[in-house]
Amino acid sequence: MTERVGIVGIPPRSVITDLHRRRVLIFDLDEPQVRASLDLTASHLPRVYCAVLRTVVLNAMHLHLDCIYIDVGPGKCDCALHVSTILKNMLDIPIHCTRNQDMEGAGIPLCRTRMPLLAKMTGITAGVLEPEPEKGPAACRPTAGFWGVPPRDFSLLTLFPDTTHVYGWTRCMENKTPADLELESYVNPNVPTVFFAQSFCAKTALAKFLADQHPQGLYLDCDVTAGSSARAKIEAFFELSHSLFSEK
Amino acid sequence: MLLADFGTSYCKLLDTETDRAPEVIATRDLEVGFMADLATGHNAARRSKQSINELTALARGGEKIIGGKDFVLLDCGSRDIKFVRYAEGRVVDMGWNAECGASMGFTIELLAKYYDLDYGEIAVPDTGFSITCGVLGMSNIFDAVISGLSETEAVAKFVRGIARNAYRFAGSPERLYLSGGLCDNPLFVGSFPCNVISLGRFVLLAGLQASR
Repeated sequence: MTERVGIVGIPPRSVITDLHRRRVLIFDLDEPQVRASLDLTASHLPRVYCAVLRTVVLNAMHLHLDCIYIDVGPGKCDCALHVSTILKNMLDIPIHCTRNQDMEGAGIPLCRTRMPLLAKMTGITAGVLEPEPEKGPAACRPTAGFWGVPPRDFSLLTLFPDTTHVYGWTRCMENKTPADLELESYVNPNVPTVFFAQSFCAKTALAKFLADQHPQGLYLDCDVTAGSSARAKIEAFFELSHSLFSEK
Repeated sequence: MLLADFGTSYCKLLDTETDRAPEVIATRDLEVGFMADLATGHNAARRSKQSINELTALARGGEKIIGGKDFVLLDCGSRDIKFVRYAEGRVVDMGWNAECGASMGFTIELLAKYYDLDYGEIAVPDTGFSITCGVLGMSNIFDAVISGLSETEAVAKFVRGIARNAYRFAGSPERLYLSGGLCDNPLFVGSFPCNVISLGRFVLLAGLQASR
Protein backbone atom coordinates (compact mmCIF):
# COMPACT_ATOMS: atom_id res chain seq x y z
CA MET A 1 0.00 0.00 0.00
CA THR A 2 1.29 3.45 -0.92
CA GLU A 3 2.67 5.38 2.02
CA ARG A 4 0.84 8.66 2.73
CA VAL A 5 3.09 11.48 3.87
CA GLY A 6 2.14 15.01 4.85
CA ILE A 7 4.51 17.93 4.55
CA VAL A 8 4.29 21.30 6.29
CA GLY A 9 6.25 24.25 4.97
CA ILE A 10 9.19 23.46 2.70
CA PRO A 11 11.16 20.47 3.99
CA PRO A 12 14.75 20.27 2.67
CA ARG A 13 15.22 19.10 -0.92
CA SER A 14 16.98 16.00 0.40
CA VAL A 15 13.74 15.02 2.19
CA ILE A 16 11.56 15.63 -0.89
CA THR A 17 14.05 13.69 -3.03
CA ASP A 18 13.89 10.79 -0.58
CA LEU A 19 10.07 10.82 -0.56
CA HIS A 20 10.09 10.65 -4.37
CA ARG A 21 12.56 7.76 -4.27
CA ARG A 22 10.20 5.93 -1.90
CA ARG A 23 7.27 6.73 -4.28
CA VAL A 24 5.09 7.94 -1.42
CA LEU A 25 1.89 9.95 -1.86
CA ILE A 26 2.69 13.50 -0.66
CA PHE A 27 0.08 15.87 0.78
CA ASP A 28 0.85 19.56 1.22
CA LEU A 29 -0.83 20.14 4.57
CA ASP A 30 -0.53 23.93 4.28
CA GLU A 31 -3.29 23.88 1.67
CA PRO A 32 -6.93 22.92 2.19
CA GLN A 33 -7.14 19.18 1.44
CA VAL A 34 -10.41 18.26 3.12
CA ARG A 35 -13.90 19.72 3.22
CA ALA A 36 -14.35 20.26 6.93
CA SER A 37 -14.79 23.23 9.22
CA LEU A 38 -11.68 24.87 10.65
CA ASP A 39 -13.61 25.09 13.90
CA LEU A 40 -12.89 21.38 14.38
CA THR A 41 -9.32 22.37 15.25
CA ALA A 42 -10.49 24.42 18.23
CA SER A 43 -9.82 21.57 20.64
CA HIS A 44 -6.15 21.58 19.61
CA LEU A 45 -5.35 25.19 18.66
CA PRO A 46 -6.59 28.62 19.72
CA ARG A 47 -9.18 30.01 17.32
CA VAL A 48 -7.08 33.15 16.97
CA TYR A 49 -4.14 31.52 15.22
CA CYS A 50 -2.61 31.40 11.76
CA ALA A 51 -5.25 30.02 9.38
CA VAL A 52 -2.61 28.10 7.42
CA LEU A 53 -1.50 26.21 10.52
CA ARG A 54 -5.09 25.62 11.57
CA THR A 55 -5.49 24.09 8.10
CA VAL A 56 -2.45 21.90 8.77
CA VAL A 57 -4.07 20.52 11.91
CA LEU A 58 -7.43 20.05 10.17
CA ASN A 59 -5.77 18.12 7.33
CA ALA A 60 -3.78 16.01 9.76
CA MET A 61 -6.98 15.10 11.60
CA HIS A 62 -8.62 13.74 8.45
CA LEU A 63 -6.04 12.41 5.98
CA HIS A 64 -4.96 9.16 7.71
CA LEU A 65 -1.29 9.84 7.14
CA ASP A 66 1.60 7.51 7.83
CA CYS A 67 3.97 10.30 8.84
CA ILE A 68 4.49 14.07 8.64
CA TYR A 69 7.54 16.16 7.82
CA ILE A 70 7.13 19.61 9.30
CA ASP A 71 9.68 22.34 8.73
CA VAL A 72 10.16 24.34 11.93
CA GLY A 73 13.36 26.25 11.20
CA PRO A 74 14.00 29.77 9.93
CA GLY A 75 12.32 28.77 6.67
CA LYS A 76 8.96 28.43 8.40
CA CYS A 77 8.00 29.92 11.77
CA ASP A 78 7.81 29.45 15.51
CA CYS A 79 4.09 28.77 15.20
CA ALA A 80 4.90 25.67 13.13
CA LEU A 81 7.37 24.58 15.82
CA HIS A 82 4.59 24.65 18.40
CA VAL A 83 2.14 22.98 16.02
CA SER A 84 4.65 20.14 15.66
CA THR A 85 4.34 19.58 19.42
CA ILE A 86 0.57 19.49 19.09
CA LEU A 87 0.72 17.05 16.16
CA LYS A 88 3.01 14.75 18.12
CA ASN A 89 0.52 14.73 20.96
CA MET A 90 -2.51 14.43 18.68
CA LEU A 91 -1.43 11.71 16.25
CA ASP A 92 0.05 8.28 16.71
CA ILE A 93 2.40 8.60 13.72
CA PRO A 94 6.01 9.82 13.36
CA ILE A 95 6.27 13.63 13.19
CA HIS A 96 9.65 14.56 11.70
CA CYS A 97 10.77 18.12 12.38
CA THR A 98 13.15 19.57 9.79
CA ARG A 99 15.07 22.83 9.60
CA ASN A 100 15.46 23.65 5.95
CA GLN A 101 18.46 25.90 5.39
CA ASP A 102 18.99 25.06 1.69
CA MET A 103 20.60 28.00 -0.08
CA GLU A 104 21.10 26.61 -3.57
CA GLY A 105 18.60 28.51 -5.70
CA ALA A 106 16.34 26.57 -8.06
CA GLY A 107 15.19 29.65 -9.99
CA ILE A 108 12.05 31.76 -9.95
CA PRO A 109 10.54 31.61 -13.46
CA LEU A 110 6.91 31.38 -12.33
CA CYS A 111 7.30 34.38 -10.04
CA ARG A 112 8.25 36.55 -12.99
CA THR A 113 6.15 35.25 -15.85
CA ARG A 114 2.94 36.56 -17.39
CA MET A 115 0.16 34.33 -16.11
CA PRO A 116 -2.95 34.72 -13.93
CA LEU A 117 -1.63 35.05 -10.39
CA LEU A 118 -3.87 32.25 -9.13
CA ALA A 119 -2.38 29.82 -11.69
CA LYS A 120 1.09 31.10 -10.88
CA MET A 121 0.58 30.53 -7.16
CA THR A 122 -0.89 27.08 -7.76
CA GLY A 123 2.16 26.18 -9.83
CA ILE A 124 4.56 27.44 -7.19
CA THR A 125 2.87 25.60 -4.34
CA ALA A 126 2.65 22.41 -6.42
CA GLY A 127 6.37 22.74 -7.08
CA VAL A 128 7.05 22.23 -3.37
CA LEU A 129 6.29 18.53 -3.87
CA GLU A 130 8.93 18.21 -6.58
CA PRO A 131 12.64 17.86 -5.78
CA GLU A 132 13.82 19.40 -9.04
CA PRO A 133 12.45 22.57 -10.67
CA GLU A 134 10.92 22.43 -14.12
CA LYS A 135 12.18 24.71 -16.86
CA GLY A 136 9.95 27.72 -16.47
CA PRO A 137 8.34 30.20 -18.84
CA ALA A 138 9.94 33.48 -19.87
CA ALA A 139 9.80 36.57 -17.66
CA CYS A 140 7.54 39.53 -18.37
CA ARG A 141 7.81 43.20 -17.46
CA PRO A 142 6.03 43.63 -14.12
CA THR A 143 3.19 46.09 -13.62
CA ALA A 144 2.30 44.96 -10.09
CA GLY A 145 3.73 42.98 -7.22
CA PHE A 146 2.48 40.43 -4.75
CA TRP A 147 4.77 40.06 -1.75
CA GLY A 148 4.16 37.44 0.89
CA VAL A 149 3.09 33.91 1.57
CA PRO A 150 0.51 31.95 -0.42
CA PRO A 151 -2.77 33.11 1.13
CA ARG A 152 -5.19 30.70 2.77
CA ASP A 153 -7.83 32.07 0.40
CA PHE A 154 -6.48 32.00 -3.16
CA SER A 155 -9.53 33.88 -4.47
CA LEU A 156 -7.94 37.22 -3.62
CA LEU A 157 -5.27 36.48 -6.23
CA THR A 158 -7.83 36.91 -9.01
CA LEU A 159 -7.74 40.67 -8.37
CA PHE A 160 -4.16 41.03 -9.59
CA PRO A 161 -3.08 41.60 -13.21
CA ASP A 162 -1.40 38.76 -15.11
CA THR A 163 1.81 40.78 -15.18
CA THR A 164 2.15 40.63 -11.39
CA HIS A 165 5.56 39.54 -10.17
CA VAL A 166 5.70 37.48 -6.98
CA TYR A 167 8.03 38.41 -4.13
CA GLY A 168 8.57 37.47 -0.51
CA TRP A 169 8.38 33.98 0.92
CA THR A 170 6.49 32.68 -2.11
CA ARG A 171 9.52 33.58 -4.23
CA CYS A 172 11.68 31.70 -1.72
CA MET A 173 9.31 28.73 -2.12
CA GLU A 174 9.83 28.53 -5.86
CA ASN A 175 13.55 29.02 -5.39
CA LYS A 176 13.52 26.20 -2.81
CA THR A 177 15.34 28.42 -0.31
CA PRO A 178 12.65 29.19 2.29
CA ALA A 179 15.13 30.52 4.86
CA ASP A 180 16.68 33.07 2.49
CA LEU A 181 15.67 36.24 4.31
CA GLU A 182 17.54 38.42 1.84
CA LEU A 183 15.50 37.04 -1.05
CA GLU A 184 12.33 37.26 1.04
CA SER A 185 12.99 40.93 1.76
CA TYR A 186 13.68 41.84 -1.86
CA VAL A 187 11.09 44.13 -3.49
CA ASN A 188 10.80 46.12 -6.69
CA PRO A 189 10.19 49.77 -5.76
CA ASN A 190 9.00 50.56 -9.29
CA VAL A 191 5.78 48.54 -9.21
CA PRO A 192 2.79 48.98 -6.90
CA THR A 193 3.00 46.05 -4.52
CA VAL A 194 0.58 44.42 -2.11
CA PHE A 195 2.39 43.18 0.98
CA PHE A 196 0.31 40.27 2.20
CA ALA A 197 0.56 38.19 5.34
CA GLN A 198 -1.80 35.83 7.07
CA SER A 199 -3.35 37.42 10.14
CA PHE A 200 -1.60 36.32 13.36
CA CYS A 201 1.55 35.37 11.41
CA ALA A 202 4.95 36.73 12.49
CA LYS A 203 5.50 37.83 8.90
CA THR A 204 2.91 40.58 9.36
CA ALA A 205 5.72 42.62 10.94
CA LEU A 206 7.98 42.28 7.89
CA ALA A 207 5.05 42.88 5.54
CA LYS A 208 4.08 46.08 7.35
CA PHE A 209 7.69 47.26 7.53
CA LEU A 210 8.36 46.69 3.84
CA ALA A 211 5.03 48.24 2.83
CA ASP A 212 5.91 51.37 4.81
CA GLN A 213 9.30 51.55 3.10
CA HIS A 214 7.91 50.95 -0.38
CA PRO A 215 6.96 54.05 -2.40
CA GLN A 216 3.78 52.35 -3.61
CA GLY A 217 3.01 49.58 -1.14
CA LEU A 218 -0.19 48.35 0.45
CA TYR A 219 -0.09 46.26 3.61
CA LEU A 220 -2.82 43.64 3.80
CA ASP A 221 -3.54 40.80 6.16
CA CYS A 222 -6.40 38.33 6.00
CA ASP A 223 -7.46 35.45 8.19
CA VAL A 224 -9.35 32.47 6.74
CA THR A 225 -11.10 34.20 3.85
CA ALA A 226 -10.61 37.50 2.07
CA GLY A 227 -13.60 39.66 3.00
CA SER A 228 -15.13 42.42 0.94
CA SER A 229 -12.98 45.13 2.54
CA ALA A 230 -9.75 43.26 1.72
CA ARG A 231 -10.87 42.73 -1.86
CA ALA A 232 -11.93 46.36 -2.20
CA LYS A 233 -8.56 47.54 -0.88
CA ILE A 234 -6.71 45.56 -3.55
CA GLU A 235 -9.05 46.72 -6.33
CA ALA A 236 -8.79 50.38 -5.33
CA PHE A 237 -5.05 50.18 -4.78
CA PHE A 238 -4.35 48.98 -8.30
CA GLU A 239 -6.95 51.23 -9.86
CA LEU A 240 -5.50 54.32 -8.20
CA SER A 241 -1.87 53.25 -8.51
CA HIS A 242 -2.02 52.41 -12.19
CA SER A 243 -3.83 55.56 -13.21
CA LEU A 244 -1.34 57.61 -11.25
CA PHE A 245 1.59 55.72 -12.72
CA SER A 246 0.27 56.21 -16.23
CA GLU A 247 -0.16 59.93 -15.61
CA LYS A 248 3.52 60.28 -14.79
CA MET B 1 -27.10 60.77 -14.99
CA LEU B 2 -28.26 59.47 -11.62
CA LEU B 3 -25.41 59.00 -9.17
CA ALA B 4 -25.78 57.19 -5.86
CA ASP B 5 -23.69 56.53 -2.79
CA PHE B 6 -25.49 53.60 -1.19
CA GLY B 7 -24.58 53.79 2.48
CA THR B 8 -25.65 51.27 5.08
CA SER B 9 -28.01 53.71 6.82
CA TYR B 10 -28.38 56.54 4.30
CA CYS B 11 -28.22 56.84 0.53
CA LYS B 12 -26.93 60.00 -1.10
CA LEU B 13 -28.37 60.66 -4.55
CA LEU B 14 -27.50 63.22 -7.22
CA ASP B 15 -29.15 63.78 -10.57
CA THR B 16 -26.51 65.54 -12.66
CA GLU B 17 -29.08 66.71 -15.20
CA THR B 18 -30.82 69.00 -12.70
CA ASP B 19 -29.63 71.88 -10.52
CA ARG B 20 -30.95 70.23 -7.39
CA ALA B 21 -28.63 69.62 -4.47
CA PRO B 22 -27.81 66.03 -3.54
CA GLU B 23 -30.60 64.22 -1.72
CA VAL B 24 -30.17 62.12 1.42
CA ILE B 25 -32.62 59.30 1.93
CA ALA B 26 -32.72 56.58 4.57
CA THR B 27 -31.67 53.31 2.99
CA ARG B 28 -34.70 51.55 4.37
CA ASP B 29 -36.94 54.09 2.55
CA LEU B 30 -35.38 53.47 -0.86
CA GLU B 31 -37.80 52.05 -3.42
CA VAL B 32 -37.30 48.35 -4.05
CA GLY B 33 -36.66 48.79 -7.76
CA PHE B 34 -34.48 51.90 -7.48
CA MET B 35 -31.57 51.88 -9.95
CA ALA B 36 -28.77 54.41 -10.39
CA ASP B 37 -26.61 54.90 -13.46
CA LEU B 38 -23.34 55.05 -11.55
CA ALA B 39 -22.96 54.19 -7.88
CA THR B 40 -20.73 53.20 -5.03
CA GLY B 41 -21.41 51.61 -1.66
CA HIS B 42 -22.63 48.33 -0.27
CA ASN B 43 -25.53 47.86 -2.68
CA ALA B 44 -23.96 49.50 -5.71
CA ALA B 45 -23.45 46.36 -7.76
CA ARG B 46 -27.11 45.36 -7.29
CA ARG B 47 -28.67 48.80 -7.63
CA SER B 48 -26.76 50.45 -10.46
CA LYS B 49 -25.78 49.97 -14.08
CA GLN B 50 -22.15 50.64 -13.21
CA SER B 51 -20.45 50.59 -9.84
CA ILE B 52 -17.22 51.94 -8.43
CA ASN B 53 -15.27 50.72 -5.45
CA GLU B 54 -15.85 52.90 -2.35
CA LEU B 55 -12.18 53.58 -1.72
CA THR B 56 -11.76 54.67 -5.31
CA ALA B 57 -14.78 56.96 -5.05
CA LEU B 58 -13.42 58.41 -1.80
CA ALA B 59 -10.01 59.04 -3.32
CA ARG B 60 -11.44 60.62 -6.46
CA GLY B 61 -13.75 62.76 -4.34
CA GLY B 62 -10.82 63.89 -2.22
CA GLU B 63 -8.81 64.80 -5.30
CA LYS B 64 -11.71 66.86 -6.61
CA ILE B 65 -12.70 68.65 -3.41
CA ILE B 66 -9.39 69.07 -1.59
CA GLY B 67 -7.22 69.53 -4.63
CA GLY B 68 -3.90 69.44 -2.75
CA LYS B 69 -1.11 66.96 -3.24
CA ASP B 70 -0.71 65.91 0.40
CA PHE B 71 -3.71 65.02 2.50
CA VAL B 72 -5.37 62.37 4.63
CA LEU B 73 -9.07 61.85 4.02
CA LEU B 74 -11.10 59.74 6.43
CA ASP B 75 -14.65 58.61 5.77
CA CYS B 76 -16.65 57.52 8.79
CA GLY B 77 -19.74 55.62 7.81
CA SER B 78 -22.48 53.80 9.63
CA ARG B 79 -20.80 50.49 9.43
CA ASP B 80 -17.13 51.03 8.54
CA ILE B 81 -14.30 53.53 8.32
CA LYS B 82 -11.93 54.05 5.42
CA PHE B 83 -9.13 56.42 4.58
CA VAL B 84 -6.76 57.41 1.80
CA ARG B 85 -3.47 59.21 2.25
CA TYR B 86 -1.93 61.19 -0.59
CA ALA B 87 1.68 62.36 -0.74
CA GLU B 88 3.01 64.36 -3.65
CA GLY B 89 -0.20 63.71 -5.54
CA ARG B 90 -0.02 59.93 -5.21
CA VAL B 91 -1.96 57.49 -3.08
CA VAL B 92 0.58 56.14 -0.62
CA ASP B 93 -1.66 54.46 1.91
CA MET B 94 -5.25 53.42 2.30
CA GLY B 95 -7.35 51.37 4.66
CA TRP B 96 -10.82 50.02 5.02
CA ASN B 97 -11.91 48.68 8.34
CA ALA B 98 -15.23 46.89 8.31
CA GLU B 99 -14.46 44.67 11.27
CA CYS B 100 -12.64 46.31 14.18
CA GLY B 101 -13.91 49.77 13.24
CA ALA B 102 -17.38 48.47 12.65
CA SER B 103 -20.74 50.05 13.40
CA MET B 104 -19.33 53.36 14.61
CA GLY B 105 -21.74 55.74 12.96
CA PHE B 106 -24.66 53.41 13.44
CA THR B 107 -23.98 53.03 17.16
CA ILE B 108 -23.45 56.76 17.72
CA GLU B 109 -26.81 57.51 16.10
CA LEU B 110 -28.49 54.68 17.96
CA LEU B 111 -27.22 55.96 21.33
CA ALA B 112 -28.51 59.48 20.69
CA LYS B 113 -31.98 58.13 20.01
CA TYR B 114 -31.94 55.67 22.90
CA TYR B 115 -30.76 58.19 25.50
CA ASP B 116 -32.47 61.18 23.80
CA LEU B 117 -29.23 63.14 23.43
CA ASP B 118 -28.27 66.14 21.30
CA TYR B 119 -24.61 65.88 20.37
CA GLY B 120 -24.55 69.60 19.69
CA GLU B 121 -25.04 70.28 23.39
CA ILE B 122 -22.48 67.85 24.79
CA ALA B 123 -18.99 69.09 25.60
CA VAL B 124 -15.96 67.06 24.55
CA PRO B 125 -14.77 65.19 27.65
CA ASP B 126 -11.16 65.32 28.84
CA THR B 127 -10.86 61.55 28.69
CA GLY B 128 -12.61 58.84 26.73
CA PHE B 129 -12.98 55.09 26.60
CA SER B 130 -10.30 53.05 24.88
CA ILE B 131 -12.45 51.31 22.31
CA THR B 132 -12.08 50.01 18.80
CA CYS B 133 -15.63 49.48 17.62
CA GLY B 134 -19.20 50.46 18.32
CA VAL B 135 -20.34 47.06 19.41
CA LEU B 136 -17.50 46.34 21.84
CA GLY B 137 -17.66 49.88 23.19
CA MET B 138 -21.26 49.57 24.32
CA SER B 139 -20.34 47.63 27.44
CA ASN B 140 -18.05 50.51 28.50
CA ILE B 141 -21.09 52.76 28.56
CA PHE B 142 -23.11 50.36 30.67
CA ASP B 143 -20.20 49.86 33.10
CA ALA B 144 -19.64 53.62 33.41
CA VAL B 145 -23.32 54.30 34.11
CA ILE B 146 -23.35 51.56 36.75
CA SER B 147 -20.30 53.15 38.38
CA GLY B 148 -22.09 56.51 38.70
CA LEU B 149 -21.39 58.45 35.51
CA SER B 150 -24.37 60.11 33.85
CA GLU B 151 -25.60 58.60 30.61
CA THR B 152 -24.58 61.78 28.78
CA GLU B 153 -21.04 61.68 30.20
CA ALA B 154 -20.69 57.99 29.39
CA VAL B 155 -21.84 58.44 25.79
CA ALA B 156 -19.52 61.43 25.40
CA LYS B 157 -16.57 59.29 26.49
CA PHE B 158 -17.70 56.63 24.06
CA VAL B 159 -17.86 59.07 21.15
CA ARG B 160 -14.45 60.49 22.04
CA GLY B 161 -12.99 57.00 22.13
CA ILE B 162 -14.49 56.17 18.75
CA ALA B 163 -13.07 59.37 17.23
CA ARG B 164 -9.60 58.71 18.67
CA ASN B 165 -9.68 55.18 17.28
CA ALA B 166 -10.60 56.47 13.82
CA TYR B 167 -7.81 59.07 14.09
CA ARG B 168 -5.22 56.37 14.84
CA PHE B 169 -6.60 54.20 12.03
CA ALA B 170 -5.98 57.07 9.62
CA GLY B 171 -2.34 57.27 10.73
CA SER B 172 -2.61 60.08 13.32
CA PRO B 173 -2.21 63.00 10.88
CA GLU B 174 -1.79 66.64 11.95
CA ARG B 175 -4.61 67.66 9.62
CA LEU B 176 -7.50 65.39 8.77
CA TYR B 177 -10.15 65.84 6.12
CA LEU B 178 -13.32 64.18 7.33
CA SER B 179 -16.09 62.72 5.16
CA GLY B 180 -19.46 61.26 6.07
CA GLY B 181 -22.54 62.01 8.11
CA LEU B 182 -20.52 62.29 11.31
CA CYS B 183 -19.16 65.62 10.01
CA ASP B 184 -22.44 67.04 11.39
CA ASN B 185 -21.72 65.72 14.88
CA PRO B 186 -19.86 68.45 16.84
CA LEU B 187 -18.94 66.09 19.68
CA PHE B 188 -17.40 63.59 17.27
CA VAL B 189 -15.53 66.20 15.24
CA GLY B 190 -14.34 67.98 18.39
CA SER B 191 -12.96 64.74 19.81
CA PHE B 192 -10.17 64.44 17.23
CA PRO B 193 -6.80 65.59 18.62
CA CYS B 194 -5.87 67.31 15.36
CA ASN B 195 -7.02 69.93 12.91
CA VAL B 196 -10.20 68.55 11.31
CA ILE B 197 -11.68 69.90 8.10
CA SER B 198 -15.19 68.57 7.60
CA LEU B 199 -16.15 67.95 3.98
CA GLY B 200 -19.64 66.67 4.62
CA ARG B 201 -21.40 63.59 3.42
CA PHE B 202 -21.18 64.00 -0.36
CA VAL B 203 -17.47 63.30 -0.95
CA LEU B 204 -18.14 59.92 -2.54
CA LEU B 205 -20.73 61.52 -4.83
CA ALA B 206 -18.03 63.99 -5.89
CA GLY B 207 -15.82 60.98 -6.57
CA LEU B 208 -18.53 59.51 -8.78
CA GLN B 209 -18.83 62.80 -10.64
CA ALA B 210 -15.08 62.81 -11.21
CA SER B 211 -15.22 59.23 -12.49
CA ARG B 212 -17.90 59.81 -15.11
